[in-house]
Amino acid sequence: MASSHDADTEGITRRKSLAALGGVGALALAGCTETEGSDGSDGSDGSDGSDGSDGSDSLSGAINIAGSSTVFPLMSAVMEDFAEQHPDVDPDISSTGSGGGFSNFFCVGETDFNNASRPIQPEEEELCADNGVEYVELIAATDALTVVINNDNDFATEMTVDELSQIWQSDAAELWSDVRDEWPDEEIERFGAADTSGTYDYFIENVMGEDGHTDDYQATEQDNTIASGVEGSEYAIGYFGFAYWFQNQDQVTPVAIDNGNGPVEPSLETASSGEYAPLSRPLFTYPSIESLGEEHIAEFARYFVEQTTNEDLVAGDVGYVPATEETQEEQMQTLEDAIEQAQG
Amino acid sequence: MATDTDTARGEGFGEVSRVRGIVFEYLSLGASVLGIFALAVLLIYVTIDAFDLANADPLWLLTYFLTLVVPFLGFCLYSARDPALTRRAVAVAGGGLVAVAAVFTAIEAFVGEVPRLNWQLTYLFVAVIPLTGYLTYMGARGRPGSVGFGLIGRLIGGTAIGLAFTVLFLVFDERLWFLAYTLGIVPALLAYAYGQLRDTPAAVTAALPVSILGVLLAVFAREALRTYPTTAFIYLWTLAIPIAAAGAVVVNGRGSRTAALTAGGVPLALAAAVGLFGRAAGLGVGGPNALVVIAVTGVPVAVYLHRVFDAGDGLTGLGLPVLLAAGALAGALVVETFGIPTPSPWVSETFLTEAPSRTASEAGLYPAIVGSVIIIAMVAVLSFVLGVATSVFLEEYTADSGVVGGLTRLLQINIANLAAIPSVVYGLLGLGLFANFLGLGFGTAVTVSLTLSLLILPITIISAQEAIRSVPDDLRRGSDAMGATRWQTTKNVVLPEAFPGILTGTILALGRAIGETAPLIMVGAATTVFSPPSSLFSKFSAMPMQIYAWANFPQAEFRYGVVAAGVITLLIILIGMNGTAILLRNRAEEGH
Repeated sequence: MASSHDADTEGITRRKSLAALGGVGALALAGCTETEGSDGSDGSDGSDGSDGSDGSDSLSGAINIAGSSTVFPLMSAVMEDFAEQHPDVDPDISSTGSGGGFSNFFCVGETDFNNASRPIQPEEEELCADNGVEYVELIAATDALTVVINNDNDFATEMTVDELSQIWQSDAAELWSDVRDEWPDEEIERFGAADTSGTYDYFIENVMGEDGHTDDYQATEQDNTIASGVEGSEYAIGYFGFAYWFQNQDQVTPVAIDNGNGPVEPSLETASSGEYAPLSRPLFTYPSIESLGEEHIAEFARYFVEQTTNEDLVAGDVGYVPATEETQEEQMQTLEDAIEQAQG
Repeated sequence: MATDTDTARGEGFGEVSRVRGIVFEYLSLGASVLGIFALAVLLIYVTIDAFDLANADPLWLLTYFLTLVVPFLGFCLYSARDPALTRRAVAVAGGGLVAVAAVFTAIEAFVGEVPRLNWQLTYLFVAVIPLTGYLTYMGARGRPGSVGFGLIGRLIGGTAIGLAFTVLFLVFDERLWFLAYTLGIVPALLAYAYGQLRDTPAAVTAALPVSILGVLLAVFAREALRTYPTTAFIYLWTLAIPIAAAGAVVVNGRGSRTAALTAGGVPLALAAAVGLFGRAAGLGVGGPNALVVIAVTGVPVAVYLHRVFDAGDGLTGLGLPVLLAAGALAGALVVETFGIPTPSPWVSETFLTEAPSRTASEAGLYPAIVGSVIIIAMVAVLSFVLGVATSVFLEEYTADSGVVGGLTRLLQINIANLAAIPSVVYGLLGLGLFANFLGLGFGTAVTVSLTLSLLILPITIISAQEAIRSVPDDLRRGSDAMGATRWQTTKNVVLPEAFPGILTGTILALGRAIGETAPLIMVGAATTVFSPPSSLFSKFSAMPMQIYAWANFPQAEFRYGVVAAGVITLLIILIGMNGTAILLRNRAEEGH
């Protein structure tokens, strides 16, 4: 009996507490609800907001970018700022290499932009055409391909393009003295870009021409590895994009290149004026025209072209040569035409 | 040596040369020492870079050594209550100081400068950290120590699990979860409890159909309903209240009803108060995430405190968190007062909570951490379910002979070979099958987790099979003799016995999955994203992808500092994951 009595009182308290809990819960529920309508309307606002010239916060959607690892630092820096200004835009970037980006992602319609450290190649154009992907070519910045030697090397600080070619062509010189008589009788140690890299293609085309690239060198995709290789040996030579040297100026010494008008050191100024020839090269990005039909992507493309003249960002933070006002205007015109074509 | 063996052979019971054995012993010792030493040097440098210890003032190190490390070691020694151990510890700490300083200075004088190390740091890594590890182990064996570490473990573990919940709700729809919980899980639990209490088997049987019906209903209701409780209230109702209830039930089983109400109610009230009103009341913390973290941390801590007070032994151990917090505060105070320069570690709050940036000091890993956590959670579930199912089938259900046996063996060989296939190939498979053919999207969480699950599936299957095979046949036959069906034997005998082994295999496999980069690149996972993913079908990045990208940045701060910080973060998350699984395994092993 006693136990059943206990159970009864317990039952009552439990019932009471349940009722109290329920009451509190109902109150809380009534006070703490939100309706989804506000979320839903955000999406439709996106297209409205685009009519205003800078309806900054109304843009939303994803932007997929892939391509060259050389352009990666520049593009991701621009994306960072854009994402900050437009919190609802979700940009992402993959560093796949110029060719990998075109063939695996861009030309099959998976990405909105593809970055490239060289112009698009005929096979890639064909692939894009087969899949109905149209694009425009935008110049992102200018890079000065930098040839570097060890800091202790005081003899080879200036070279002609022909001497450079002798060092890197297929039947390359063995010893430094084979290139120029007064240079020491020491073996040349070479560190360069791997043959999958756009830098490799560019170097062959503009320095060696038909003589091709030597096989007798350490090939790598990592600028870092090239720099430490050159840093470690007095008789080493290597080449990579300007950005790496720009950020690590004490590590290795750049070679001044003589293209017939006296030796010119690589720098932001000499690259932009075109004096640093033949090693200054344009970097590209290719937006897909279909994607430009979406307002947030078109807005990003405009923002990107605007930023190509931003010296703090392009030169200071990343280490490439910013575009001139003139180039920027041209690019903007190309882009606006493409956007018009896309949005009708 | 040749003569030795000759004599041994010639005279039968002559002397046998022990040279080979001794050489072999020392060779194997050398091999293991070499491996551990290389790894230790790497980890030491990564740690130094990640925490900017190379720039740490010796006075700064000394301050925290005195306020934080020494009291902790004292606590461990107090807990161990072993005078011999205390003498040894003091000798190692003191002798190590002299020895390390002398050897290091000698090396610097005669061999050359050691980059980014000084004798104080060397002492820290060579003497203090191993000593701390050893004393922690010895201290944990004493009662106060085990109480202290138990409490700290619950504090840290609860916070980690709470944070993991909040991360998962970034991509999983909390409103759907709210409906599924309210309509499916709660009624099913009520039916089950009612059936158990009132002895009504029908109610217990109804629990499963009720939950399935409820979840289905929830999926439809999600489309129709537009008004929902706020996120904080959803978390309170679906996470905090059930956890508090579970805690109360546990305490109730051990002791009084008042204690149970307190153990469940106090953390719940605290969580609700901070979560719902924290921001409004001007506290630094608040919001739904704080609510989850406080509830998930608070309830286990309260239950544990009840247990410790109930046992009434080792109560001093409960002071350990206070000791450590006071030590850290005192250290900070001394550093502040005397103006000792502090290092600026790369692993910092901004690093863990911000998006990647082009400036090293602002760079963060947050989106990639979220991506990795979500991917690994899905991989864990997928590979565990698929792996265990396959291995149970192969071990318990298929025949050993005949055509079926032959097929099984063929399957076995294939599974073993799959384990050796390079991960890039799985990436290609994921690209072709999941991204292109099934259209799950390039680089989405679903594609990535399915690909990684396939990648580690062979390892999971093989280790689960080993675990199931190691269950003695006697147990199965015993169960058969009791008239159990094969399903009952598997469920009640084989799986519980094999569970610890299965978990170990899964842990190892998951460790591999979290660090994979190649298949992620193949299926098109992003290198960098700037905000955490909002659904399972948005583009993902994972920690290894972002770390690899940073390693190629031209700026030296990225290649040393930020990459090191990323590696340390990845390691900590990996250790946390493995720690959880190891705890679960030990629990399971203790169970019988």
